[in-house]
Amino acid sequence: MSTPSHRPRKKSRASEVHAATSNGSIMLDATSSRERPAFPLAAFFWPTKGVPTSSWVILSSILMLTGLFRWTTGFWPYSGRARPPMHGDFEAQRHWMELTIHLPMSHWYFHDLEWWGLDYPPLTAYHSWICGQIGSLLNPDWFALYLNRGNDGHGLKVFMRATVIISEYLIYTPAAVICVRQLGRMHNINPWESSIALTALLMQPSTILIDHGHFQYNTVMLGFTLASIASLYAGRRLWSCVFFVCALGFKQMALFYAPAIAAYLAGSCVFPRLNSPRLVGIAIITLASFALLSLPLLLGTAFDTYRSLPLPATATPPPLLASLPAVLSSEKSILYPYITQLLQAVHRIFPFARGLFEDKVANIWCFVHSTGVHKLSAYSASTLSRASLLLTLASITPPCALLFLAPRPQVLASALATTAWGFFLCGFQVHEKNVLLPLLPMTLLLAGKDGMKPSVRGWVGYANVLAASTLFPLLKRDELRIPYFVLTGLWSWLLALPPTSLTVYFGSTARSGEEAELHWTSKVLHLGTYAAMIGWHVVEAFVETPEGKPDLWVVANVSIGAAGFGVCYLWCLWQSVVASRLLEGGRWETAKKKQ
Amino acid sequence: MADQFPTLAQCAVVATSLKVLLWPAYKSTDFEVHRNWLAITHSLPIDKWYFEETSEWTLDYPPFFAHFEWVLGRIARYVDAAMLQINNLEYDSWQTIHFQRATVILTELMLVYSLYAFVRSSPAATKKQAHAVALSLLLSPALLIIDHIHFQYNGFMYGVLIWSIVLARKKSTLLLSGIMFAVLLCFKHIYLYLAPAYFAFLLRTYCLGPRSVFDIKFANCIKLGVSIAAVFALAFGPFVYWEQMPQVLARLFPFSRGLCHAYWAPNVWAIYSFSDRILIYPQIPALLKLFLQPSWDNFVATLTLCGYASFLFGWHVHEKAILLVIVPFSLIALKDRRYFGAFRPLAVAGHVSLFPLLFTVQEFPAKTVYTLVWLIAFLLTFDKLVPASEKPRVFLLDRFSLLYTALAVPLMVYTSLLHHMIFGAKYEFLPLMFTSSYCAIGVVGSWLSFSVVHFTA
Repeated sequence: MSTPSHRPRKKSRASEVHAATSNGSIMLDATSSRERPAFPLAAFFWPTKGVPTSSWVILSSILMLTGLFRWTTGFWPYSGRARPPMHGDFEAQRHWMELTIHLPMSHWYFHDLEWWGLDYPPLTAYHSWICGQIGSLLNPDWFALYLNRGNDGHGLKVFMRATVIISEYLIYTPAAVICVRQLGRMHNINPWESSIALTALLMQPSTILIDHGHFQYNTVMLGFTLASIASLYAGRRLWSCVFFVCALGFKQMALFYAPAIAAYLAGSCVFPRLNSPRLVGIAIITLASFALLSLPLLLGTAFDTYRSLPLPATATPPPLLASLPAVLSSEKSILYPYITQLLQAVHRIFPFARGLFEDKVANIWCFVHSTGVHKLSAYSASTLSRASLLLTLASITPPCALLFLAPRPQVLASALATTAWGFFLCGFQVHEKNVLLPLLPMTLLLAGKDGMKPSVRGWVGYANVLAASTLFPLLKRDELRIPYFVLTGLWSWLLALPPTSLTVYFGSTARSGEEAELHWTSKVLHLGTYAAMIGWHVVEAFVETPEGKPDLWVVANVSIGAAGFGVCYLWCLWQSVVASRLLEGGRWETAKKKQ
Repeated sequence: MADQFPTLAQCAVVATSLKVLLWPAYKSTDFEVHRNWLAITHSLPIDKWYFEETSEWTLDYPPFFAHFEWVLGRIARYVDAAMLQINNLEYDSWQTIHFQRATVILTELMLVYSLYAFVRSSPAATKKQAHAVALSLLLSPALLIIDHIHFQYNGFMYGVLIWSIVLARKKSTLLLSGIMFAVLLCFKHIYLYLAPAYFAFLLRTYCLGPRSVFDIKFANCIKLGVSIAAVFALAFGPFVYWEQMPQVLARLFPFSRGLCHAYWAPNVWAIYSFSDRILIYPQIPALLKLFLQPSWDNFVATLTLCGYASFLFGWHVHEKAILLVIVPFSLIALKDRRYFGAFRPLAVAGHVSLFPLLFTVQEFPAKTVYTLVWLIAFLLTFDKLVPASEKPRVFLLDRFSLLYTALAVPLMVYTSLLHHMIFGAKYEFLPLMFTSSYCAIGVVGSWLSFSVVHFTA
């Protein structure tokens, strides 16, 4: 018998050589000089290290497991559950599904603005329409017009949670997979470690908690952004424009990224030499995407005009209409209905009339105002918005200038993060949830060069843990304290970060020496912030706020957050500068040759 | 051991995170059963425990489990004293849910410890395999579904069982193994099904000399007899003293009260005096083999066969009893390729058979996705780790196993989706029937191949 039948059919070659480039997931044990996982997340991938394993098996397992954590987070309450009269974001989304499937399109942006009027861009409205149609097939009562406001039924909850996770798996997840793969290719990182970085990205606690706990569809917008970034990595600028317009068209908050993306695209048309066809192509595709995006709304309006359907009785013309030339804004103009729709959408999407910040958010304005450094209520809204605009411009100019002057894909993630931090810290009308925007590109750094070494992992982890803790007051209102502690604790443990581990700061057995270590000032700063956050949680849990200052703890939280995020802004800016290689005496051409 | 990643502790951390997130999930009436037992043991003196019947879920576990509930009650009163009132039927404040769910997670540490002990006690040559097996049991979807969603304390119970099995590995701890098993029986009497294997093994290895059956070790006989009698006396003594044994036995084995109560599954442990007589016959060959070759591997294999017999031939067996097969079998599944071949269909069928326990929409993705990842991860890992066998494999069984695994996918699609689309609410028995038949084929198939492997080894 030459080949005995009881032998295993396939004999795997146990130690196939794997790519030499490590981004820091492996460390050498000091005593035994054996390889060890540098943090627990890498330990879970250890059985596949150096063992030929189908990448489909690994990828599908990652996606299923991270999906489980998302789905089970959804078992917990959502924002505004059983909280009349207005309920919360969950009711807003349900209401949009209700109104888009029942009302004519020209009414969407005008309908009963007092009860969660639609104030997101058209792609959200179309998405609501699709979800509403599917939901009505399952149970028409869920989206019955006017009849079901504040419905807290279990079936509806399961359906809505399912729409979030399915939307995410259709857009965010594939984009993340591709983006991490592109980064791995760009920095020559072995696929084994790229899988680890992908898992870390997908397990980001803040994103899971806001989308699957609090209830929102941020990952759709973030997913389009990731797709846009991945397209830039792949050199497909036109696709990048399409995806970015989709992101903007889903949620206006993608504007946080817009200057950086624009600067990169512009820079890539100018450096190293002017490329006008490329510039024209980008402009045309961007405009066409915007047109395509608003086309359904305009066609719907045309249909409603054709059957002479009036706007709702309560509708007032959008204030922006007055600033247009009379030819366009007169009711007799043939364009009038379309212009009204578009302006109303813009008016709803950008509520300039609202305040500088809402609730308590960890940015400069709230920090300055609430901590009593300087009361901002003395200034008029226009002064404040002008100040905010100037400061934002000042903060985003350096990263955007870097991207314009050195449009290298390696700069993109950190510069996008810097720009988004600038918007978050100095911008107008920022929500605490918007912290997800700077977090995403910053967390992408984990998948890049040296991403898992303490120098980068420490900072990315710091931003993520801090961001999650600034969301705590919001999550506490939603009764999501336990998922908050579980997911944040799990993520920081998986990446060996405080509060569960200090190896990033004191374990010096990383594989490739000194430059991977955090600077001692960073260590002091991080540990100080972590200590402050832990102290804050203890105080918040056990000590009552003093009389007459019910928001004191929240203000304290926001202040720690704002300070920490400010530092994150500076770090990301520094990372962009380093990655742009502009400091290397303008010799990036030679540097390129060396590579 | 140092090079085995992920470690048991690391897996326990991640699994615990998921289990905590599952706290608000669907819970079966077993949740109320256990809450009621908390209330009974906390509020009443011991001699009233087995008579209390305000709730229909009367106490029907042996005394140690009741004492265990009493201990939990001591803590529960600081969490939410309302759950400890007997009249508070169906009480499920979030404090109650969080408390009861947390006790399941914490008592499961027993399982973590036993698995650690199992890996430590394995010979160096099979440490890698033992580690993989330990992880598979710790992360078992069966335990996730039954304990952390449906609600029971199997992780704790099987922890004690595995510890007892591990203790049986060394000559010096055989007595302790027997005592632990007696303790386990006084927690939950379903483990009586495994008792024949313990009896044969301890009799041969502990009570009789290694050379000859006639070399009776009287000192050991007395030690074992006295210890086990002491354990049972501790559990049942007070009830004997109060002359309550007929009532206690009637609760533990409701068969004696007539079949009227057997309409609901847990009453199933039931019928013991009856089924015992049936079950012992198919096991006699295995017990004889164990008696003649009393190795630890043979002992675990016989435990597995006892589990199979109880699951396949027992009267009114609940699907949860599949753990009685999966747990001991896992410990020897990686012995060689033939064992693994028999284990594979069991791993698929055993877990799929638990799916009908959870019938709610929200839990559907959780149970299927978790089980799927587990099957992919562990069947592939096992496949890489399992050593080739010295005897040729049975070709037919191998093909059967592959085909069988593949069939699970269309089955799940049909039962969860297609059936509803084709028939609507009609013929609701069909999906259940298909699942049961599918699983029965798998379990019977794996039983047959395991028997072949065991008796030809």
